[in-house]
Amino acid sequence: MLEIEHLVTGYGGVPVLQDVSIKLAAGELVGLLGANNAGKTTLINSLSGIYPPMSGRILFEGKDVTRLTARQRVEIGIVQVPEGRLVFPEMSIRENLLLGGINARARAHRARQMEHVLELFPRLSERLGQNAGTLSGGEQQMLAIGRGLMAEAKLLMLDEPSLGLSPLFVQYIFGIIDRLHKEGLTILLVEQNLNLTLRHAQRCYVLERGKIAVEGASDVVKDDPRTRSAYLGL
Amino acid sequence: MTEFMQALAQGLLIGSTYGLLALGMGLVYGVSGVVNFSHGDFISLGMFMCLGLYSALTLDPYVSIIITVPVMTAIGAVVYWYLIRPMVGHKFLMVVQLTLGLSLVLQNGILMVFGGQPARTPSMVESKLLILGDVVVRVPHVIAFVVSFALAIGLYVMLRSTDFGRSIRAVHQNANAAALMGIDVSRVQTLTFALGIGILAIAAALLLPGTPIQPAQGLRYTVITLLVVVLGGMTNFVGIMLGGLIIGISEAFGTIYLSDTLGMLLPYGIFVLIMLFRPQGLTWSSR
Repeated sequence: MLEIEHLVTGYGGVPVLQDVSIKLAAGELVGLLGANNAGKTTLINSLSGIYPPMSGRILFEGKDVTRLTARQRVEIGIVQVPEGRLVFPEMSIRENLLLGGINARARAHRARQMEHVLELFPRLSERLGQNAGTLSGGEQQMLAIGRGLMAEAKLLMLDEPSLGLSPLFVQYIFGIIDRLHKEGLTILLVEQNLNLTLRHAQRCYVLERGKIAVEGASDVVKDDPRTRSAYLGL
Repeated sequence: MTEFMQALAQGLLIGSTYGLLALGMGLVYGVSGVVNFSHGDFISLGMFMCLGLYSALTLDPYVSIIITVPVMTAIGAVVYWYLIRPMVGHKFLMVVQLTLGLSLVLQNGILMVFGGQPARTPSMVESKLLILGDVVVRVPHVIAFVVSFALAIGLYVMLRSTDFGRSIRAVHQNANAAALMGIDVSRVQTLTFALGIGILAIAAALLLPGTPIQPAQGLRYTVITLLVVVLGGMTNFVGIMLGGLIIGISEAFGTIYLSDTLGMLLPYGIFVLIMLFRPQGLTWSSR
């Protein structure tokens, strides 16, 4: 479904990602691991069209999408749930969800999609009119994922969904990720939390200083000594 | 007492239009961080377009808006897209300088076309009065008040309950997140700027009847608008309308109770006083 070929991305002429190649099949749950500053967020932001690539190609459902704008990426179904959640704090849950489905493709079925999201997160449906800024971190993460689903994602990219959450919420959010995976959604899970990701993802890539250091099935990646060293920056 | 009520009424009526002017500036600042120092010159442009339309076709300013609003909106879109957009995200002062330059261009452009003599644009309601007990108000002021508030309410509803309005608020609250929703941030910023300039075309017609105009007046409107926007807390809708009323009323009191020159200073004095005690603006910050 997604093929990244020899991607180089950077800012101000300095490459951050160097020759990164990644593949995701439809329906897969793939983990993208790495320490801070390894380039994980840069990678999914290039997938979202925020940073133009310096070279390389991105194919989505067989089509070259390397040059598409951020808006066009969302419209074809590449959707990011950003790190730090970035909900719109002075808007209600309902408005946040509506904005999630504002792209041309999803707009027509927003009502139906919202029912689906609220069924997934009953906690949000109890307080639709409440401002997102007043929610707890865990609730904001639910909202951020819900907002991503409103866009009718085909590929959902989650950037650090466990960041700053209590263990109970982390468990809950990963339960939801598993459920979405079982429903057939293709998911790219970007995480610092190594063990958690290895447990949930089928396959993983480990980024180290802008390059793929390790890749393979989760148990293989888990036992590879390079994984730990990539993390510790050794 | 009559004098007091008279000043209060006049200040309230004009102040509502100041509020409207400031809403446009506040919206633009909110979505793109641009403070437009040519704001007042766009009001001038709107007024002189009305004058031109009167000279050529004897159109009443209130009728002219059918033409000036779409034209000014288009000008706003072009100016933002080609001049301001490339500068957004650079140093704040560069954008300030750009809009100041734009102000000079507009001012001198108007001077070239219309000359420097003060001019008036007649309107059929210009000299009509409305008498409410002891208070006499001019009909154009009443029209300005009603239209300004109607537009403010319309804007508010648009921001709350349409996709375009929600996009504007999303870009204001977090432009990066808005881009991830598939919102074209540059497009929203351009349309908001165009909308702000389009509103000025209406405000220009509202302020025009009975007011002599001249090309150099733009800066005065820019300053008044800035006062109101800052008083209102930059992006707070209710605060800005309230700020407009306060500036309008203090201007009216100043001209009635104090001498002409001193009276012009009163709004600024009140502004400084309010800023000393509430530097965050009249209302609590709301994004």
